[in-house]
Amino acid sequence: MGGKSFFIDTSRCTACRGCQIACKEWHGLPATKTTQVGWGNHQNPKDLNFYTYKLVRFSEHERNGKVVWYFFPDQCRHCLEPPCKDVADGYVKGAIVKDPETGAVIYNLEKLKKVPFDELLDACPYHIPRQDPKTGMVAKCDMCIDRVKAGLLPMCVKTCPTGAMNFGDREEMLALAKKRLAEVKKKFPNAQLLDADSVRVIYLVLDDPKLYHEYAVASKDVGITRKVALKKLFDPMGWLQSLV
Amino acid sequence: MKLTRRDFMKFSGLAAASVALGNLGFDLKPAYAHAQILKIRMAKETTTICPYCAVGCGIICHTDLVTGKVINTEGDPDHPINEGALCAKGAALYQMINNPNRITKPLYRRPYSDKWEEVTWEWALEQIAKRVKETRDKYFIRFNDKGQEVNRVEAIAHVGSAALDNEECWLIQAMMRALGLVYIEHQARI
Repeated sequence: MGGKSFFIDTSRCTACRGCQIACKEWHGLPATKTTQVGWGNHQNPKDLNFYTYKLVRFSEHERNGKVVWYFFPDQCRHCLEPPCKDVADGYVKGAIVKDPETGAVIYNLEKLKKVPFDELLDACPYHIPRQDPKTGMVAKCDMCIDRVKAGLLPMCVKTCPTGAMNFGDREEMLALAKKRLAEVKKKFPNAQLLDADSVRVIYLVLDDPKLYHEYAVASKDVGITRKVALKKLFDPMGWLQSLV
Repeated sequence: MKLTRRDFMKFSGLAAASVALGNLGFDLKPAYAHAQILKIRMAKETTTICPYCAVGCGIICHTDLVTGKVINTEGDPDHPINEGALCAKGAALYQMINNPNRITKPLYRRPYSDKWEEVTWEWALEQIAKRVKETRDKYFIRFNDKGQEVNRVEAIAHVGSAALDNEECWLIQAMMRALGLVYIEHQARI
């Protein structure tokens, strides 16, 4: 397996949004219009967008007459078998590549223009990619691949003041996740790790993941479509090449 | 083609330059879209302190060696207070320098005016000094009701800033006390 992974411990997240801002600063992305009017939430912006790769989602629920407030620093999960890559490979080779060293799933903004965006978004079990309506380009978290290749931490992890964001070798992160899960389980019996075996961004949540975010865990009705599966079948060489 | 010695030097200089550039790791092969060069690879690092709150987190400013402009800011891992971490405000420090909305000239709104106008620093500082002097002279209290000597000014307040360092705070404190101010406050407690 190998490669790199994130471990995001939501039990430590205070929703300071340092990660969200640091991500924007590093990637040099512009601000987007935000509003808290009309939907009663402190979260900003309302959703991921072409210029926002990382978003701390806020959700409030009532539990036994008490308010529970959950924070979910949402981002691309860098799947071990990324369905978006399967879709893109059917149109343009190299539009989405999986970095062999780290396992990061990287989008080529120019090449991805030729891949239908709705198919790409439908394939993503976590509803992550976002398109710029003006240029047709699609973007998402790139694991700060330039930093990671230079031995630095991704910006969101570097900036996290509470230790909620962690990054390192996959084995280390899995071990850390399991250790931390055992600790918090004592107080929160519903605590769980989300899709730890299939993604490189492992979340620890204290409750039902649906209470955190609709797409916190992989939705069952997505994945590769029949069309993509057929393409794979008829183009086995291309598929094999894409694995390299 | 006749090559003069001068031309020869020019050409060899060019060749040397291209070899040097080739060795710097500029990989122009488009094989990997993500093979980006780390933008802070050749930058100069300068440490600074976050100006936004009294915690005083350490920050590294990365400056481009050619343009001299700040190209990145991030937490300083060697700083004992934050150990590399930053909150949302600290992480946004880059915008303090590179920001089209930043105000770089003093603005003045005249009495009863509905708009701000740009003024010079000289004019602004002189006006502030003049008005401080006027107010202080007018409202200076030499003795209180009991006849005790107090030498104070209650008509002016000073609101400090979290962006100030120890020495600046001392200077401000000394100056404000000398004027006789008693309302000296810090923004973090407002």
